[in-house]
Amino acid sequence: MWRVGIDVGGTFTDLFAWDDESRQQVSSKVLTTKHDRAVGVVNAIKAANIPLARISYLMHGTTTATNALIVRDYPDAAMVTTDGFRDTIEIARQHRERLYDPYQTKPKPIIKRRFRYTVGERIDVHGEVVRPLPREQALEVANKIKQHGIRSVAVAFINSYKNGAHEVEMRDIIKEINPDTYVVLSSETRPVFREHGRFTTTAIRAATIPVMEVYFERLENALKSEGFAGRLLILKSSGGICGVAYAKLHPEELIESGPAGGVAYAGYLSRLLPEFPNIIHTDVGGTSFDVSIVENGHGLITRDHEIEWEIPCIVPMLDIHSVGAGGGSVGWVDEGGSLRVGPRSAGSSPGPVCYGLGGIEPTITDANLLLGRIEPTLGGKMTLDKAGAEAAMERLAAEVGLSAIETADGMIRIGCENMAQAVKKVLVSRGRDPRDFILASFGGAGAMHACFVAESMNIPKVVMPIHAGVASAFGATAMDLRHDLEVFHFSPVADANLADLNTLYSKLEADAVRLLEAEGVSREDIDTNRTAQMRYVGQTYEVETPVPDGKLTPSGVAGIIETFHSVHKREYGVSSSDFAPAFVSLGVTGIGRTDAPPPIEVGGSGGEAVKGERQIYFNGAWHMSKVYDGHALKPDATIDGPCIVEYEHACAVLPPNAVGTVDRFGNLIIDISRNLVSNV
Amino acid sequence: MDKKVTVDTSVIEQTKVDPVTFEVLRSIFEYASDRMTTVLQRASFSPILADMIDFSNAIYDYECQLLSQAANCPIHLAAMKYSAEAIIEKFGIANIHEGDIICVNDPYKGGTHINDITFLTPIYFEKELLGFSVSRGHWMDLGGGAAGGQAFAGTHIAGEGLRLPPVKVYERGVMRDDIVEIMVNNTRTPHFVKGDLQAHVGCLRAAAQEMQRAAAKYGIVTLKAAMKQLQEYTERIVRKSIVEIPDGVYEGEDYADTDGFSTKPIEIKVKLIVKGSDITVDFSGTDSVVKGAINSPFANTASAALYSLQFFLAPHAPQNQGMFNPIKIVVPEGSWLNAKWPAPTIGCTTLTSAKITSAIWQALAKAIPERVTGSTSADCNWFVSSVIAPNGATDVFSDLPAGGWGATPYNDGMNVTEDPLGNCMNMPAETAELLFPIAYEAFELRQDSAGPGKFRGGLGAVFKVRYLADGELSMETARTLAGSPGVAGGQHSDVQRQIKIYKDGRREVIGGLDEQGNWKSPLLCGHPFAYGETFMFESTGGGGYGNPWERDAAQVREDVLDEYVSLQAARERYGVVIDPATMLIDEAATARMRASMVEKAAA
Repeated sequence: MWRVGIDVGGTFTDLFAWDDESRQQVSSKVLTTKHDRAVGVVNAIKAANIPLARISYLMHGTTTATNALIVRDYPDAAMVTTDGFRDTIEIARQHRERLYDPYQTKPKPIIKRRFRYTVGERIDVHGEVVRPLPREQALEVANKIKQHGIRSVAVAFINSYKNGAHEVEMRDIIKEINPDTYVVLSSETRPVFREHGRFTTTAIRAATIPVMEVYFERLENALKSEGFAGRLLILKSSGGICGVAYAKLHPEELIESGPAGGVAYAGYLSRLLPEFPNIIHTDVGGTSFDVSIVENGHGLITRDHEIEWEIPCIVPMLDIHSVGAGGGSVGWVDEGGSLRVGPRSAGSSPGPVCYGLGGIEPTITDANLLLGRIEPTLGGKMTLDKAGAEAAMERLAAEVGLSAIETADGMIRIGCENMAQAVKKVLVSRGRDPRDFILASFGGAGAMHACFVAESMNIPKVVMPIHAGVASAFGATAMDLRHDLEVFHFSPVADANLADLNTLYSKLEADAVRLLEAEGVSREDIDTNRTAQMRYVGQTYEVETPVPDGKLTPSGVAGIIETFHSVHKREYGVSSSDFAPAFVSLGVTGIGRTDAPPPIEVGGSGGEAVKGERQIYFNGAWHMSKVYDGHALKPDATIDGPCIVEYEHACAVLPPNAVGTVDRFGNLIIDISRNLVSNV
Repeated sequence: MDKKVTVDTSVIEQTKVDPVTFEVLRSIFEYASDRMTTVLQRASFSPILADMIDFSNAIYDYECQLLSQAANCPIHLAAMKYSAEAIIEKFGIANIHEGDIICVNDPYKGGTHINDITFLTPIYFEKELLGFSVSRGHWMDLGGGAAGGQAFAGTHIAGEGLRLPPVKVYERGVMRDDIVEIMVNNTRTPHFVKGDLQAHVGCLRAAAQEMQRAAAKYGIVTLKAAMKQLQEYTERIVRKSIVEIPDGVYEGEDYADTDGFSTKPIEIKVKLIVKGSDITVDFSGTDSVVKGAINSPFANTASAALYSLQFFLAPHAPQNQGMFNPIKIVVPEGSWLNAKWPAPTIGCTTLTSAKITSAIWQALAKAIPERVTGSTSADCNWFVSSVIAPNGATDVFSDLPAGGWGATPYNDGMNVTEDPLGNCMNMPAETAELLFPIAYEAFELRQDSAGPGKFRGGLGAVFKVRYLADGELSMETARTLAGSPGVAGGQHSDVQRQIKIYKDGRREVIGGLDEQGNWKSPLLCGHPFAYGETFMFESTGGGGYGNPWERDAAQVREDVLDEYVSLQAARERYGVVIDPATMLIDEAATARMRASMVEKAAA
């Protein structure tokens, strides 16, 4: 039976699949069908010649929820809060995105103010009722919701992370009047403190539930009508998968569902290549450059993700950062006369000048073409307008005072420097040292720049994975089922009651197992891992600290404190014995193990690996450079830069002095250590 | 003795950095100061640094000229330079060694208010001085007559806390325990001192490391030449944008309602003299030094003037010395904007600098009305309160509920956003309740608080916090006599007010105007609140832009539906008549209403 991974992107729908009997692997790429993305999913399966009835598992990454949120394209939702907190999701944290921009505006709130209601209930910080929920007032709100025909409501009360009883009461009253309306509670969405994050995340769930219900039902119907009888699993932002029934009701967990597959592939690589446990995952697209960190098989997780400025989604999410740098980034001269690259992008329309679609400003892609790094027919797929690109570059060069080719080379150096700064920011914000990592490049254009980005960061090695062109779809097939459960428990560790901790952890574990079993995972394939969000008393940020399994004892607690100090030191650069550690919340991650695609040892396609040679510009001079067919390279092959390695959906550039070797799975490992300055 | 600055300056001047290397180094300089911010925020222990990010970091070149800055608080922008200069002047470059860290918070030596403390370390590479990294943070409490130094009843700097001259807190990499002990002994929050100090040290070292890497890769001469060329680059951008402002003299004014003692407002008068590519900011005519704690030392005044102009001159240019060169600042001796010892200054950053911005923007509005926005609420509304924790210990709790920003020629102003002078975050209610014996009762938008206009100011807020223990609250604010001015026909916002709500629900205005028109000073110093009493603050919105009757009526209706604007205000202030039953616009009545508004304005 086939296990199929499908990633629906903005332009292409990618598929990777493997047969757990024959071990055969296939991939396909079709255009995304924007009017109904389910059509593209079926098209990709057909393009790969997989009978739908022969699919056991279909793992699917989707950006539908994120797209709906960004353009606020969903039916009006309502929100009910405690008196005085109607505007928590709109005022946010009262700071601005750009320090000196007098004209800036803030993103629109997820739920309009006119549909945000308040009630006079109050629960205090200890979970005690100060004012009961006034039933008359609650009924009045429920009637307004009915009057406006609203189908989805977020209920978010102050201190409900400690006691959600009033939220439950409110839901019952809304349901009395509106039995078919979705009502989601902040105490169920994410019962953790700090109202802005919890309220906003609850609003996100309320807003996107109706959208995802429609999308998933359409997708299920489309698949079933073609004979699909397997299990449909959805990629979550956390880097795990879940059943479609769960996904429909928890759309806030799908924000990074699209990019999560690529990170999962990086995780798969770090398990496959024991010499590289730490990987920086980078993906260069047309307009954006994504970065994340993978350690020991798993992507780092954040709870501080913002969908837009001050619109946080506080569920555990892969820590993926995106900056505006990519193949479409435009070169320009600023008001002070300096050469700049991006963040403005020509996008796909008009696109780079060489696409001939009306673009007039030179882009990174145009620069690569002029430097000889892109083949002018893209392997026969289209004819690029080199003369147009050259003319555009010359116009820019005249402003800069360099030759066209120097300007093109400069654009790549500047563009790669911008990417390197983005990577460094991610590493530094997580307390990691670049020198402990290998840089992995995904996406069609990633490996054209990876060596230069790595050089700027003094990272000696780069990996170009064999499936980089369909990375997210491949990663989808390598993911486990995963649920992250959390309960608030604020207590200095010294005052913690062990019996309480044991009870809370056992309950979370039982809940995680129940969720996974409901999704068809058998008990022996389920692992649970305990964590605690911890901080120093008086601090306002937490770090996630691993907690040992089994019944906690006083010596176990001492071990947790030790671990906390060391995790804090790694993430924040400091630890202190002057401050007492405290628990803020307890978490359990339930993992339902699935079979990842077995690594296939490649023998090379048997064809001639050298496709030809051409002049390529590096470091101020033209170099005659070999061009290789990446799929024909045999294991242990060694290739010397300068050279180009072309794949079906991607291309790698090796500068002079770089040395590439092919591992037994077909991944290209590039060593650039001869180009690095000695470390400072 | 260490070797210092061995490369001849003429060599640096003659080195032309190629455009690509220039751009790459520009990006590295910017990253280096950004990295300081990340490290300081992550590593600091006190909420005012870690959660409210009240700090800024910068790198100066080998001649102590600003090279790069990550100013989270614009008010720190230029003032840090004066602190760095005061340090170098005191010790001399020859006596500042690798591993030294020197601090200063003296308001008269480049400081702003006493709580802003500045740390400096030299950056060396192969014995060559590359420059200095400098970090300035607001420390929660450095002593003084009230929690957080907020001694508004005080009339002498000595009452505001520990005033440190430039002093080495690390000598050649070793911490000086005696100095740290002085800090620890002079604060209400001694437990934060070592943690926050280490965070500043970590961030200074992070910048040094980035600069050393750049020197190793590109060479000392290229690096130093790029520093100078980057400053020239910014100066070019700034001068270009000044040339676009018509030559002339433009006047603006604003005022603080009181210094806590005076019964009349304290005025700021500013003249912007624009000539070619130069601007002189002249504060002649401004009131004399005052008794209360809102006097501004020169560094604070200059910093406020520079960041205020930065919004309209070169908001995107790299922040370095090049921004300052075309701008001359004149502050008359003896004025309240040129405070000298022993004038108290604790309110200068949060209150006075906001008024300086407002005055300068109003002057600019006369020069470039098509670009300038309505005035912001022009206050941080920073309050600090002691509260007696259940265990009897005194704790210090603080927040800064913002007001709205002015409307712009293109869009409505931002609702409830920290004043231009800073960019601090508020305190989440659930965090505050967990840490302090208090209960947040509200932080929500305040209907009709913004100045009407073709574009509306951003709204202010209603803020309420109830004491669950006895405490004393200090706060400085203004805009209690009149709201934020509008521009180009845009109108004033509403006034601000401080209110005490007693246990029985009775309300008393304790700062600002009450319903009878009686006014009380909004500079509260140790104002007592008993268990069960509530502090309520109404912040104001921003001023409007353009005539309110030109605002799209459909947009006014949207505002009414969202309750940003009341039905009554829609009618009386925008001339839009909406039927309360159907919520539809009465087009005929609206046309009549607006015609009479135009007529009235013409008369």
